[in-house]
Amino acid sequence: MEKEKELPMLSVENLRVYYGAIHAIKGVSFTAYQGEIVSLIGANGAGKSTILNTIAGLIRPKEGDCRFEGQSLKAVEAHQIVKRGLALVPEGRRIFSRMTVQENLEMGAYGRHDKEGIERDRERVFESFPRLKERRRQVGGTLSGGEQQMLATARALMSNPRMIMMDEPSMGLSPILVQEIFSIVQEINQQGTTVLLVEQNAKMALAIASRAYVLETGRVVLSGDAKEMLNNEEVRRAYLG
Amino acid sequence: MRKKLQSYGLNILALALLYGLMSFLIGQGAINKYYLGILLSAGIAIIMAVSLNLTIGLLGELALGHAGFMGVGAYAAALFTKNIGMDPATVFPLTLLLGGLAAAVFGLIIGIPALRLKGDYLAIITLGFGEIIRVLIINLDFTGGARGMRGIPRITNFTYVYVLVALVVAVMFTLGRSRHGRAILSIREDPVAAEASGIPTTYYRIFAFTVAAFFAGVAGGLYAHYVGVLDPNNFGFMKSIEYLVMVVLGGMGSITGAISAALVLTALPELLRQFSEYRMLVYSLLLIGMMLFRPAGLLGIREFSLTGLLSYVFRRCPHAEPEEREMPQAVAQEAPPLRPPVAEDAPVLLSAQRLGIQFGGLKALTDFDVTIHAGEIVGLIGPNGAGKTTVFNLLTNVYLPTSGVIEVEGVNVVGVPTHEITQVGIARTFQNIRLFRKLTVLDNVKIAYHNQMQYTSLEGTLRLPRYWSEEARANARAYQLLRVFGLEKLAEERADSLPYGAQRKLEIARALATNPKLLLLDEPAAGMNPIETQDLMATIRNICDRFNVAILLIEHDMSLVMGICERIVVLDYGQMIALGTPDEIRRDPKVIGAYLGGE
Amino acid sequence: MKFLQQLINGLQVGSIYALIALGYTMVYGVLQLINFAHGDIIMVGAYTAMVAMTMLGIPFWAATLAAIAVCAALGVTIDRIAYKPLRAMPRINSLITAIGVSLLLQNAAQLIFSPNPQTFPSELKGAPISIGGLDIGFITVVIIFVAVLLMLLLQAFVHKTRMGKAMRAVSEDMGAAQLMGINLSTTISLTFAIGSALAAIGAVLYCSAYSRIAPTMGALPGLKAFIAAVLGGIGVLPGAMLGGFIMGIAESLTKGFISSQLADAVVFGILIVVLLVKPSGILGRRAHEKV
Repeated sequence: MEKEKELPMLSVENLRVYYGAIHAIKGVSFTAYQGEIVSLIGANGAGKSTILNTIAGLIRPKEGDCRFEGQSLKAVEAHQIVKRGLALVPEGRRIFSRMTVQENLEMGAYGRHDKEGIERDRERVFESFPRLKERRRQVGGTLSGGEQQMLATARALMSNPRMIMMDEPSMGLSPILVQEIFSIVQEINQQGTTVLLVEQNAKMALAIASRAYVLETGRVVLSGDAKEMLNNEEVRRAYLG
Repeated sequence: MRKKLQSYGLNILALALLYGLMSFLIGQGAINKYYLGILLSAGIAIIMAVSLNLTIGLLGELALGHAGFMGVGAYAAALFTKNIGMDPATVFPLTLLLGGLAAAVFGLIIGIPALRLKGDYLAIITLGFGEIIRVLIINLDFTGGARGMRGIPRITNFTYVYVLVALVVAVMFTLGRSRHGRAILSIREDPVAAEASGIPTTYYRIFAFTVAAFFAGVAGGLYAHYVGVLDPNNFGFMKSIEYLVMVVLGGMGSITGAISAALVLTALPELLRQFSEYRMLVYSLLLIGMMLFRPAGLLGIREFSLTGLLSYVFRRCPHAEPEEREMPQAVAQEAPPLRPPVAEDAPVLLSAQRLGIQFGGLKALTDFDVTIHAGEIVGLIGPNGAGKTTVFNLLTNVYLPTSGVIEVEGVNVVGVPTHEITQVGIARTFQNIRLFRKLTVLDNVKIAYHNQMQYTSLEGTLRLPRYWSEEARANARAYQLLRVFGLEKLAEERADSLPYGAQRKLEIARALATNPKLLLLDEPAAGMNPIETQDLMATIRNICDRFNVAILLIEHDMSLVMGICERIVVLDYGQMIALGTPDEIRRDPKVIGAYLGGE
Repeated sequence: MKFLQQLINGLQVGSIYALIALGYTMVYGVLQLINFAHGDIIMVGAYTAMVAMTMLGIPFWAATLAAIAVCAALGVTIDRIAYKPLRAMPRINSLITAIGVSLLLQNAAQLIFSPNPQTFPSELKGAPISIGGLDIGFITVVIIFVAVLLMLLLQAFVHKTRMGKAMRAVSEDMGAAQLMGINLSTTISLTFAIGSALAAIGAVLYCSAYSRIAPTMGALPGLKAFIAAVLGGIGVLPGAMLGGFIMGIAESLTKGFISSQLADAVVFGILIVVLLVKPSGILGRRAHEKV
């Protein structure tokens, strides 16, 4: 494959994570290249969220390393990682529910100091999410589930990331909203942001991803081209129901 | 049991010998008045520290008013002595009992806020109560007010202190190792899981506070009749802190640790009187240092055991168990069958109608209906966030539904406390495994047997026959249950040291131990690979037949539930979108659209 | 008339409770920790100001600034040494260290300054202000004015500035705040610094009004301020202010009309009633435990 030659944007190397005595991630490696949508799929408890949280610096790995644009993230604190251009939309959205939509977006741009850039990004975000613009003075907690997911995504975009990681953006959303969120993910990607997508909804994730990794109890058991995986009979049986 | 009785005998013998030796030394004057005084103070401090350990170490709640209870006991006992008009020495045991009871009443009153509060708030409440007691003593007439109470006959002697210390320590040991003690420990480990295992947590919180206060009151009675003069300021916050330091230093939860710390911290300041102004400074540094560097205490939570020491010395067996357990295999054969079989025809076990709940305007679940018959396996599936776990939380009354009815065998259980729902026959597991992490695998299961044992706290403390028979039976049944899950070899291990899959299994075993008619399993296969999952599903099938339970199974993976469920309920976005046999569900267009994420 | 007088006394002492309560409530909002040592920060502030004035001969305003600086630094240091290493431990552990720190400060002060009370050289003197036949002391006016002003400033800080908003974000969700690029340790330190600085101002005002200063002087006002924070709804800034005023007035009315001896018992009684009736406090939010 041609991609192999260029330097990956994100490479995770032999990651091992423990929760107390529990070995949650047992040596996971994968890569994501500039401009891709890469998807991690697998059942609940397979370790998908743990991997994203480790990359984002919220959890410290026992072994292994994550490299973003060639630089190790080992000794980098979570709040520094965002500033390097790698943002995470966490599982369950975790918006600041007592702050207004506007304040949430400001927090997203916390690490930036370029006033004009922030202003421009806010306009761009409001363009992509007109509902957030209508509700910008509203407190986050009063938004509906779909709007909260949009806010969480918009908030991450406010850091102007070169790569965005999304943890189960479809969680708890109705089918129509899921469709909408996925088309937003595609749109973000088309604007040049690399996407690492963690999903339980494997079918949809594979449909928009270029490559995918299947996780099972803390290990990668399968990887390859997303479209091929979508048609792979074995994968279908095991993960698509 | 015989080994244990031998061990008790040995300990009693050792105590008697020590008593004889000490009395002899006191009689000979080898222990002079000064040292005797230190000994008596130390004894009283031991009672205080050991009883405080019950709330802090076992229950896990920080109590900051322990000296206040002591004060109540001291004043009650002193007033009784002064007003009884009988020879105070003859009625002294009664006096001490009264002091204890008076303090227990206050403990009960403090325990009541524990109905609603825990953690920091409860700590502040205990502090507040302690101060209120002190202020009241100062402001009441019959207590002598701020000047204190004088002329209390000094009848506390070595024998009283020695016997009471031995008694209180023994009670703490035996109580701690009974179903009641385990119930208290389970609250420290995880109150939600404790309730779900059938433990009335509110009752045991208050119980622990009351018992601790009782013994503090007894210590107060001893103290009053030892010093002869009572000063209300001796029962304030700083005194409470001194006892706290003893418990922390000895290791929260360790009785022998508390005893050692009480001895050292009473004797040392006496011996180092010239440095007395640094005492509180040292205490404060001890508190900080211990928490930062040795939070488990100087001795940790391990208990010193005479039997263990002897077997170590004589048999030079380095792995002597600190406590002998019953031999499980031998007893297992006598154990009764796990559960009598139920009738063939399947009556309705659980029915929920129009169940709904809102969280601040957000409808998490609306109009949920389900009927479960005895012995069947029903699947509850839906995407993440669809409200599956909310259903469990409603059925077990962790949340109170905004609308709807839940009936178990025709009886409405809405608003019934979780632990009673467990007793009615609904047990559950949790999505993010909630074990009693620091307790052994065996104790995890035995806690769930709580309601199937009948012996009272008194029977347990005094080790009466019912304690022995019921505990032996529970042990045997627990081992039997653990064997079903292949966990019997791990019975003595700490629950949090188990691998992930074993923890999941243990949680199911614990739920089964409550003897449920209906078992709610919340994603039991989460985090397992397909082979392990297949294995688990076979086990679940097996459980259903063997234990005669109905199962409501949450799974988000559809293919998995298809194999073992007779009927499946599909939730999406807080609404039930389908109900039927696996085949019907597989073909349901709504399910395919919503759940599989059609394109 | 006596009633009005007591009411004003209550507002005066309540303002000080409110200032101290802000520190409790800010730290609790961020860390869910009762900073037991906060009350003793008051004492440190008082002694710092006194030493600065009497021994170093610094003017009152500069001594106040010194107290603010020392307390802010002390608050941050306490957090870094005693609380930060325990963030992942059970709550009871940090509660015990907090008590330890409180005792340490009190006893260190006793060794340095002796346990005996000393007199604080008050500089806030002026003619009483007369409104409708009611004499209000100059110091009372100053205290109420300063307290209300500081609270308004704090409110503005938290809602209008970048750092203030970051503080709110951290108190709502630490993990998510880090994902935004907010530096947790800096924000937490800032929280301790601001809370302690407010306590220092509270200390100077308190001593100027009551002029007595002793190593254990912080314990009781600290505890009452904590109760005020709980009463108003811990974690909510306006709640601390409301709670402080209610506490001050309740205490002052008890002293004036019932018994000054029982005032403390009444105060604790209020706490117990509030916690039993509405544990989240008057303006508080109910926490939802996730199972």
